Amino acid sequence: MKFAWKIALLVVALLAFGAARLRFEAKLGGELRDAGLFPPPLEIGTREKIGQTSSAVALGGLRTLVATFLNLRAFTFFTEQRWDDVEGTFETIVDLAPRTRYYWETGSWHMAYNAASYYLNDSKLPPLRRREAWRSSILKGRSFLERGARNNPDDWSIHANLGFLLSDTNKFPAFRDPNETFAAAADAYRKSVETGRALGYVRRAWFYALARVEGREAEALEIARGLYADGTHNHTPTLLMLLLVLEAHENPSMDVAQRAIGLFGTPEKAYEALSSHWRRTRERFPVFGVAAGLESLEKTLAIPAEQSVFNEPPPPPMGPDEWFSK
Amino acid sequence: MSTPTSIPMQGSHFSRILTISTHTFTQLVRMKVFYFLAIFAVIAIASNFFELPQHEGPEAVGANVLRSIKSWSLGAMTLFSVVLSIVATALLLPKDVEDRTLYTILAKPVPRFDYLAGKLLGVLLLVFVSLALMDGLMTAVLHIRTGMVVAEQTEMAQAMGWPQDAIASLRADTLAHGPDASLQGAVFAVFLRASIMASLALLISTFSTSTLFTTIVSFLIYFIGHFQADARDVWLQAGQAGEGVFARLASLLLALVLPDFQLFNVIDAVIQGEALPLLALGKLTLVGVYYALFFTFASWFIFADKEF
Repeated sequence: MKFAWKIALLVVALLAFGAARLRFEAKLGGELRDAGLFPPPLEIGTREKIGQTSSAVALGGLRTLVATFLNLRAFTFFTEQRWDDVEGTFETIVDLAPRTRYYWETGSWHMAYNAASYYLNDSKLPPLRRREAWRSSILKGRSFLERGARNNPDDWSIHANLGFLLSDTNKFPAFRDPNETFAAAADAYRKSVETGRALGYVRRAWFYALARVEGREAEALEIARGLYADGTHNHTPTLLMLLLVLEAHENPSMDVAQRAIGLFGTPEKAYEALSSHWRRTRERFPVFGVAAGLESLEKTLAIPAEQSVFNEPPPPPMGPDEWFSK
Repeated sequence: MSTPTSIPMQGSHFSRILTISTHTFTQLVRMKVFYFLAIFAVIAIASNFFELPQHEGPEAVGANVLRSIKSWSLGAMTLFSVVLSIVATALLLPKDVEDRTLYTILAKPVPRFDYLAGKLLGVLLLVFVSLALMDGLMTAVLHIRTGMVVAEQTEMAQAMGWPQDAIASLRADTLAHGPDASLQGAVFAVFLRASIMASLALLISTFSTSTLFTTIVSFLIYFIGHFQADARDVWLQAGQAGEGVFARLASLLLALVLPDFQLFNVIDAVIQGEALPLLALGKLTLVGVYYALFFTFASWFIFADKEF
């Protein structure tokens, strides 16, 4: 047979072979994608950002390796405090390895915590610009984690980290509406718990966030009761205190002092717990019935007026207004 | 007048293929290809030192370094196996022609298919042994490091008063990044991709005139093969984005001719801690065997009556 004929036959066979496998491969690709085993196609923007060589390596099936190298580069940018470069590099990294929890969490940590702290303390900028840069970094960190959560809905840790950020005393002043922020934090924690793999403290954190959402006290109380019934490992001072406060919200005529003694053991311990809660103003926990309970316990324990928690100097206000005043 | 007598073939196809493959394997080993294992050992050990400062509690300790070991090791395995399978296969026929070994073999009653299959198996054996050695080294490093990370995390969690169930859950999370069956599956996927490349390089070398040509074309196909799925999607979703007829036909042609190497990128998911189901690996094996068989038979079809 002539060579040209052979080549022609080979081409026909190649096309027939290709046609036979086309649908199978498409189906298999779909199955692998559905199973989370297949990364989404590399964005053209990402290809441009990582350059020709890395792009070729990434397209050659080594996306995670390129992400590993970029992570090292991002760390160098972090040590040099080049925050825009850190952000840009992590944007590329998560395009390459969108299923890696570490990159989402580290990227948001650099933005919301490291960059934000840098702007908090960097005196080279005028206060107004520092404040805006601080807020912007935190918002970027939030947005980054939210994208991570959308890409990895079954990852308990990313959801939990989003919850931590939104309920962090030093961060939530960056968000405009506290009620919306605590609701979003509670939602993030709930999603983390619903994965079934979250560690025990995430469920408690869910409750702590929900307890601070105005209008959802009944829902929070139900969770608190469930946590309380779950075992003594959940009987943290914050949980017991919030359980008491939410019960007082549900039943305003409740004897808060008696219930506090029931929860904490003795009038002294109850007074100590209520006082601590009263002082935690920065965390914006609800305080239904706390004042009444303290007054009642002060009478029971005969606490002199000068030692009363009500007469303590209020804790210094600590928020962006004070942080960026100079 | 004497009639031509055919020389009877001795032994089975299998034994002939085995003999040629063993010889090819020995021939390639003598080229000192295993020296790269020393480089791999350095990579596997060096990847241990890329532990960056962590930002959180016990759950974040060492999480990155385990992925770093897998990422570096599997990346190196992919590169080594693809380069090895392409270059070794591209060398086979020209070297046998140059050494005149080919004439000696073909003068004997050895079917040309047996010769090609034996050569290919020899390369695949070399790739397999190389990957097995690298896999052993990676698994050992990962096993040791996982143990260290788990111990470190447990100690930190206990110091922070974590309950036992939380420590157990953390341990399970970390062990998912250690050596497991999915990781071995990923190494096998690396082997499958290398096998396709070797058989494709064999096909190209049957009509190529030089080793360099075979190597360059094979590498090009390797990289373009990672876009095959995109071309296929353009064809299968034809018309949705308003593509022209020419674009659709071009995408179909690419999809039909090129292998889909993106399928084997499940390796990335395994590095990220995902489990690779046996069924998925089975289907990938089917794809790999399908390509390898087709390219081998196609090579034989071209090589069968080639004049030397």
